[in-house]
Amino acid sequence: MCGMPRRRARSTTQPDLLQGTLDMLVLQTLQLGPAHGYTIAQSIARRSDEVLQVEQGSLYPALHRLEDERLIASFWGTSENNRRARYYRLTPAGKRRLGEETTRWAQLVRAIGQVLRPVED
Amino acid sequence: MSWRRYVRRAAWDAERAAEIDAHLAHHVDDLVARGLPPDEARRVALRTFGRVDAVREEIYEMNSLPILETLWRDLRFAVRLMRKAPGFTTATVLTLAVGIGANTAIFSVVDALLLRPLPYPQPDRLAVVSTTFRSPRGEDTRTSQDGRTWELVRDHATVLEAAAYSDWVTGVNAVAHDRATYVQQQRVGAGFFRVLGVAPLVGREFRPEEDMPDGPPVAVLSYAFWAHVFDADPSVVGRSLLLRGEAYTVVGVMPKGFLSTAPADVWTPLRASTRGEGGGTNYGIAVRLKPGVTWAQANAEMAAIGHTRAAEYRNASNVTITFGLEPMQEGLSSDVRTPLLLLWGAVGLVLLIVCANVAGLMLARAGRRTREVATRMALGSGRAAVVRQLLVESAVLALAGAAVGVGLGYAALRGLLWLAADYGIWQPIAIDARVLAVTLGVALATSVLFGLAPALTASRLDVTAALTQTTTRGATGRAAHWPRRLLVAGEVAIGVLLVVSSALLVRTFVNLRSLNPGIDPRGVVTATFSMQDRRYATSAAMNQFFDASLERIRRLPGVEAAGVVLGLPYTRLLNLGFKYVGQADDGQYKITNLCYVTPGYFAALKQPIVRGRAITAADRAGTLPVAVVSEEFVRMYFKDRDPLGSRIALEGGEREIVGVAGNTEQRFSGVGQFAPLKPTAVIYIPARQTSDQFLALVHTWFEPSFAVRSATPAAETVADLRRAVRETDPLLPIAAVNDLNELQNAALAPQRFLMTLITTLGAIAAFLAIVGIHGLVAGAVVERTRELGIRLALGATVAQAVRAVALPGVGLAFAGVAVGSGLAVWTGRVLRAFLWGVSATDPQTVVTVGAGLLLVAAAASIAPALRVLRLDPAQTLRHE
Repeated sequence: MCGMPRRRARSTTQPDLLQGTLDMLVLQTLQLGPAHGYTIAQSIARRSDEVLQVEQGSLYPALHRLEDERLIASFWGTSENNRRARYYRLTPAGKRRLGEETTRWAQLVRAIGQVLRPVED
Repeated sequence: MSWRRYVRRAAWDAERAAEIDAHLAHHVDDLVARGLPPDEARRVALRTFGRVDAVREEIYEMNSLPILETLWRDLRFAVRLMRKAPGFTTATVLTLAVGIGANTAIFSVVDALLLRPLPYPQPDRLAVVSTTFRSPRGEDTRTSQDGRTWELVRDHATVLEAAAYSDWVTGVNAVAHDRATYVQQQRVGAGFFRVLGVAPLVGREFRPEEDMPDGPPVAVLSYAFWAHVFDADPSVVGRSLLLRGEAYTVVGVMPKGFLSTAPADVWTPLRASTRGEGGGTNYGIAVRLKPGVTWAQANAEMAAIGHTRAAEYRNASNVTITFGLEPMQEGLSSDVRTPLLLLWGAVGLVLLIVCANVAGLMLARAGRRTREVATRMALGSGRAAVVRQLLVESAVLALAGAAVGVGLGYAALRGLLWLAADYGIWQPIAIDARVLAVTLGVALATSVLFGLAPALTASRLDVTAALTQTTTRGATGRAAHWPRRLLVAGEVAIGVLLVVSSALLVRTFVNLRSLNPGIDPRGVVTATFSMQDRRYATSAAMNQFFDASLERIRRLPGVEAAGVVLGLPYTRLLNLGFKYVGQADDGQYKITNLCYVTPGYFAALKQPIVRGRAITAADRAGTLPVAVVSEEFVRMYFKDRDPLGSRIALEGGEREIVGVAGNTEQRFSGVGQFAPLKPTAVIYIPARQTSDQFLALVHTWFEPSFAVRSATPAAETVADLRRAVRETDPLLPIAAVNDLNELQNAALAPQRFLMTLITTLGAIAAFLAIVGIHGLVAGAVVERTRELGIRLALGATVAQAVRAVALPGVGLAFAGVAVGSGLAVWTGRVLRAFLWGVSATDPQTVVTVGAGLLLVAAAASIAPALRVLRLDPAQTLRHE
């Protein structure tokens, strides 16, 4: 009876640029294998050289949205610390999306690089 | 992830909370491992994470369904608005309730009789055999068959299971446990219940050898009869039951709730043959397609069987005959199908008017809400949101209307079933879940019908213009009036159509009611009883009973005259063939109607003997066989010849016509007579001059009645009459007691049914159309107050102002009447079969109805326009 709900605008505390970036970082992290929320957060913090200083909590709405879009899937498991944790893994759709986003990002970076290139005399 | 998360938001939230706890625990573990004290580690972990509540709330919000929430908001807003405008709400809900209620009631009948499958297993495999006669004069399809056809089907059908039955249910006297009751008996052939697919609850159904002429007397009981008379005793099989004085052995009981093709308490073998009743078309043939057989195969087989019959007919006449199958439901509902479909169409039209009216009200209100809508759009509400909000308001109104409407429908259905009591309805009719579901669908569909136009008009609003207007009046432009005007004109057109139809049906009914009865019904009571009784199998025994009981009755206080007749006025009579004797004999039997009467009958009814003599006590077995004929009989068969002294040949011998009686009105008898009641050609013969075989045959279908004229009040006469009959024969129950007006009413029941319902619907339609016009003009006066004030201030006369406001209403009424009259003439042929004594396109009726509605519409336009008189230009201009 209900199709996909129309997404409401993301909460205003999170700049839009970061949203796409965060999604991509999550997908990329999961490319290495299933991981739970804390591992993902640590990995992102490490990999972005602490440049993206996001609150770790904002990871969870992102995970929820990605799961909603069926780019990742989740299951409960036991962590290396012997604690129950919710693990996420990449779905085939997620893999595809990651590839597309990586290409798009590369194009964007190239385009911006060209615009910002100092004018040669 | 699935839609379930929307319902299970709390569970989801709990899971997220657990996940976040795990996250924090892992972080604390890490920090502790790096040497931080646990308290400090927890603080750091929480700081790094951010606000746990905010995260949970964000996810919770993501799981909400925006459509449902806005819908809920819209709903609450709609209900608030409805409460704020109680007048508008009441008017709308009541209007809708009338439309939806009428539809619910009629639909429940249509559904039960025409749409719902018959209450038998695999009802789509059931059919009745039909024969189609084609002659140069026309074509006629019938589902009643004669014995010859039945034998052909019985002997040659291979892909069908077939069973003959009689739809002619007769009331008979049943005696069990020394208690006499009057029950409805249906005669069915062996295998009838198997064809229907219902096995007896107890015992078995009839065997082929029981279904032969002179077979053993056996009976199958209905559940209700079994429970009532035999106390649901399972050992009933083999017990005896007296039916019309003859002992029948019970062989089975049908399950509870079983419905045959006619309402019956007891079934006996039909014993179909080609003799007796089998010589005429008195049987129905029910068939079930055998497993795997297609309808095409079945029809082909019927056609092949019909070839034999066709050859026989071609030899005799110019008629070709073909056999076919008709799905059983259509076969059973053929009598009521057309009237029901007519009614269904009429209530549909009324619902359309209701929608138009409510749409008009909504449009008018939309005009007043311009500012509200404009404000909302200016604040960022999309057009879609505005349309949705207005549609939700319509849906809420429609559902409220449906709720009240179901109540009205329930009451209407009870009235309807009361009216239809004489229609012989064979299915239970009720407002059930299925009907309610359809009502709900109708309500929602109407909400779109009446809500869409106003919603779309509102959403096309010019926001700037609406908000910068200093006044709410005159904010809507000229173009905004057109939807409403079209609606009103349409209402008037449909109103005219329905009122013309009602007028034609009323004229038909009046015509039929005012026919010359030919008798004096005042002071006459009749009592009908069954003579299907072995004790009265001979003419002598029957006449002995007549004489003995009439003697007692005539001695009762106040009784002026009494007699017995087979076939009272206003009822259907026995069809019988006669031919001329002597020179006039052309060898052709002409079908006419026959009654037997005792002396005193004509006197009891004051039916005049216009020539010759009545039947007297001197006409007895052994004396000259005589007959009295009706004037209509003379007109039809003797033209300018003198009938007195002429001889006619009936089945069983020649008779001399000794008298001519005045005409009586009799019910449609199927022989070249299509009016529900008309003066009928009848041959009256003395009850004493009847043969045993003749009586055995006619008493299968017809029941004689006492007719008593008395000066005492009817109730006393009835009590006395019952006592006199009981004293003569304690085992003979009286089936029905009537006065002649009741019989006339019963004969006209179908006409009254259709007339009452269509007239009610016509009245509702006309009323709503007039209300629509009134509302349109009244609204215009309010909207144009300012403009009219300016006009008056500038020197316009009051008459000019009134004309300006009222003219559109009159104009629309005129257009509506013109279109409606055209529609009425064009659709008149649909009604033709239900009219009598008036043409379906009767110009007088159409013109009278059109002019009448036009007058009322003009009054409805001018009345509100007169409010202009109360306008004070100065005040109007200063206002606002």
